Amino acid sequence: MTTRRDILSATVIALGLGLSPGAGVLADTAWPEKPVRILVSFPPGGASDLVARLLAEKLSASLGQKFVVENKPGAAGTVAATALQGAAPDGHTLMLSNLTPFNVAPTRFPDTPYDPVADFDHITYIGAVHLGLFVAPSLEIDDLETFIEAAKAAPGKFEYGSSGVGSWGHIIAERFVDVTGAELFHIPYKGSGPMRLDFRAGVVPTIFDAVPQNLPSVEEGSAVPLAVTATQRIDTLPNVPTFTEMGYDIVAENWLGVSTPTGVPAQVREKLDAALQEAMMSDDVVAQFDTWGLVREPMTSAEFSEFVAAQFAAWKPLVAAAMD
Amino acid sequence: MELLSNLALGFTTAATLFNLSYCFVGVFLGTFIGVLPGVGPLAAVAMLLPVSFYLPPVTALVMLAGVYYGAEYGGSIASILLNIPGTPSASVTCLDGYPMAREGRAGVALFATAIASFFGGIVGVTVMVLLAPALAAFALLFGPAEYFSVMVLSLVAASVVSTSGALRGLNMVCLGILLGTVGIDINSGVTRFTGGVQELRDGVSLVVVAMGLFGISEVMVSARGATRSYATETFSLHHFLPTVAEWVSSIGPAIRGSAVGSFFGTLPGTGQTVASFVGYAVEKRVSRNRDNFGKGAIEGVVVPESANNAAAQTAFIPTLTLGIPGSTTMALMLGALMIHGITPGPRLIAEHPHLFWGLVVSFLFGNLFLLILNIPLINLWVRLLRVPHYFLYPTVVVLICVGVYSIDNSIFDIWMTLFFGVIGYLLRLFRFEPAPLLIGFVLGPMMEEFFRRAMLLSRGDPMVFLERPGSAALLGAAAILLVAAVVPIKSLLAGAGFRRPAHADEHE
Repeated sequence: MTTRRDILSATVIALGLGLSPGAGVLADTAWPEKPVRILVSFPPGGASDLVARLLAEKLSASLGQKFVVENKPGAAGTVAATALQGAAPDGHTLMLSNLTPFNVAPTRFPDTPYDPVADFDHITYIGAVHLGLFVAPSLEIDDLETFIEAAKAAPGKFEYGSSGVGSWGHIIAERFVDVTGAELFHIPYKGSGPMRLDFRAGVVPTIFDAVPQNLPSVEEGSAVPLAVTATQRIDTLPNVPTFTEMGYDIVAENWLGVSTPTGVPAQVREKLDAALQEAMMSDDVVAQFDTWGLVREPMTSAEFSEFVAAQFAAWKPLVAAAMD
Repeated sequence: MELLSNLALGFTTAATLFNLSYCFVGVFLGTFIGVLPGVGPLAAVAMLLPVSFYLPPVTALVMLAGVYYGAEYGGSIASILLNIPGTPSASVTCLDGYPMAREGRAGVALFATAIASFFGGIVGVTVMVLLAPALAAFALLFGPAEYFSVMVLSLVAASVVSTSGALRGLNMVCLGILLGTVGIDINSGVTRFTGGVQELRDGVSLVVVAMGLFGISEVMVSARGATRSYATETFSLHHFLPTVAEWVSSIGPAIRGSAVGSFFGTLPGTGQTVASFVGYAVEKRVSRNRDNFGKGAIEGVVVPESANNAAAQTAFIPTLTLGIPGSTTMALMLGALMIHGITPGPRLIAEHPHLFWGLVVSFLFGNLFLLILNIPLINLWVRLLRVPHYFLYPTVVVLICVGVYSIDNSIFDIWMTLFFGVIGYLLRLFRFEPAPLLIGFVLGPMMEEFFRRAMLLSRGDPMVFLERPGSAALLGAAAILLVAAVVPIKSLLAGAGFRRPAHADEHE
C-alpha cells in the first residue's frame, strides 16, 4: 500500500534527481567574460608570485580569458587584501591569499579594514611551506634537544634571525621560547634574503625560516635543520623531526590559496575551483610545486574556508604573545 | 687554466645566435624602458620577467641582465636631458650632466656616458672573471658594523658632492634621513610618522620621492621660467665628440670610477648608489678640474657612469655565488631561474657553470651592443630637446604618473609624487639640492638598521664599530673625506688654510 509518506519521499527523490542536471546547467556560467586579475601581495619574482603566474597561465588556457597577475605588495599584504575586499564580487578579481594578510595582520594591526573570514570567500587551497629551525654548523649541534639544553644553559646568548618583527618566523620563535623555556635573542631583518646572508656569514647562529629556500644550504652543509613546524615529517627533509614529535606543540604553515570577495555567485566559485584543481593536477605544475617545496593536501572550498577561520583563531594568541 | 676553460664555456654558451639576439633585445628594451621617467631597472626587469618564462634559463638570465644594465644606462639619458633620474645613482649623473645639457652640450654628455658606461662595464666584467669567488667571500666578511660604516662613508660623500656647499648638503641629507624613518621600524615593529595612513606603513617609495623632487619640480621650474630650448643647432656626430682635452682628462676619472664601482657593487643591496656618490665625492677632491664640478664638468658625468655600470656587473657576484638575492632586482633574476626549476643556492655556479660563465661573457657582448646602439641614438635623444616645452613637459608629467603607478599599481603613489614635486620646487627656490636628500633617504634607514643590528649583536657596546678592522678603516676614510671637505686642501698647501676657515664650506 502506498502511503502518503512514500509519495512524499518519491517526490523528494524525483525533485532531487530533477535538480541534478539543473545544477549542471547553472554551473555553466558565462564567467569569465573579461580578463581576470589575480592580486599578489608580494613583489614579482618570489615563490608566491611564481605560483600565481604559473596558475594564471594554466587558467588562461583552460578558461579562455586572460588571467593577469597584478602585484600589490605592501603593509604585510593588507594592501592587496583591502583591494580585494573592495573589488566587485563578480569573479574577475581574485587574490593569491596567504597566511600574513589573512591570519596575522588583522591581529597585529587592529586598524586593518577587513575581516579575514567574513569579508572573503576562500575558494581553493593550493599548498603550504613550513618553518624550520636552522643552526650554523659552527655550533656543532645537530639535534633539537642539545640545542634547547645549550640555550637554557646560557639564556639569551644565542641570537636568532627572523624576516621581521611580526613575521611568522618571529611569532613562532617566540612560541618556541615559551614552550621550551630556552631563551633566545631576536635579531629582526627586512626579509629573508638579508637574514640568510648574515646567517651564512656567521653573524646570527640561528634562524627560523621557510624550509624550501634553505634546502640548498642544508645540502651544502652550511645550515643544519633541527626541526620543522609541520604536523608530519616533510618529504624534502625526511630525517628532520617535527616539533610535535619531539613533544613541543609548535605547528605553523604559510599556506597559499585563492580567495575572492564575498558575494561571488556559487556557479562562478565552483567553476573557478574546478579549473584550479585541474590546473594543479597537470604534470608540469606538480613538478614545479615539488621543486618549490610546496606541500599539498586535498581540500574542498568549504574545508578551506573553515581552515582559514581556524588558522585565524589559532594565530591570534600567538601574534599577541610575540608582539608583547 | 681553469679560467680559460671557464671562459671558453662562457663563450660557447653566450655566443650563439639565439642568446646574442636575446642579449641585444634585452639591452635594447632596457635602454628604451629606462629612458622613461619613473621606470628604473627594477620596473623594467619586472615588466619583462614573464617573457623570460618562455626562454631557456641561460637565455632568460642573459636577457633580463641586459634589460637591467640597459635600463641603468637609459636612466642616465633622462637624467642628462631632463634632470629626471630614475635611480639614486643616476641623480649623481644629473649633477653635471644636466648643466652640460643646458650649455647645449647634451650630445657630448651622452657620448661621455656611453663610453664611460662601456668602460665601467668592461672593468666590472673583468673583475668578475678574475675575482668572483674571492669577492663572494669578501661580501660575507661584511657584518652589520661594516655596513654601518659604509653608510656613514657614503652619507659623508653625499653631503660633500653638493655644489651649494657642504652645510646645505648636510641639511638635505638629514632631511632625507628623517623622511626615511616613515613606516614600520624594523627593530620594534612600531609604525612611525605614518599618521595612520595604511599606504605609508612600508615607508615612502623611493621612486615617488625621486620623481617628485627631480621630475615634477623640474617641470614646475621650467613652466615658470623661459621656454627657450637648450638644444644644439647642429646634429653631426662631430659635434658630439668631446675635445681631446676632455678625452685625456676623463681617463683618470673613468679608471677611479670603475674601481670604486667594482668594489661597492659586491656589497648586496647598496652597490650602485654608494658607488656613484663615493666615486663622485672622491673625484671632486682629487680632480684638477674640481671647481667646475656641478657646473657641467665632463668628469662629473664620467665618474658616476663608470662607477654604476661597473657596480651593475659586480652586483651579480654575491647573488650568483651565494644564491641569495641582495636586492629586489636580483630577486627577480633568481625568480627567472626558479621558474625553470633551478633553486638558487651556494652551489649554483658549481652545478650550472654554463649559466654563470655564459652570463659573464654575455655582459661583454651586452656592453658592446649598448655602445653600438647608443652612439647613433645620441642624435635622436638630443633632438628631443627641440620639442617645444609645452609638448615635452606635459608628456613628461604623464609618463612620470604612469611610471609611478606601474610600480605597485597604486593611485596613492601618484598623489605622493605630486606632493614631493611641490616640496622639490620649494627646495629649489631656496637653492637646496635634491640629490643629497635622495641619498639620505635611501641610506639613512639602512644606516639605522645596521647600526641597531650591530648594537643588538654587541649587546649595546658601541666599541664594535672601532674594534672590527674593516669598520674602523671605513670610518677613518669617512673622517678623512669630511675633513678634506671642510678644510680646503689648496689653501692649506698655500699656507693660508687656517686663516679663513669661514669660507671653508663654500665652494662657489
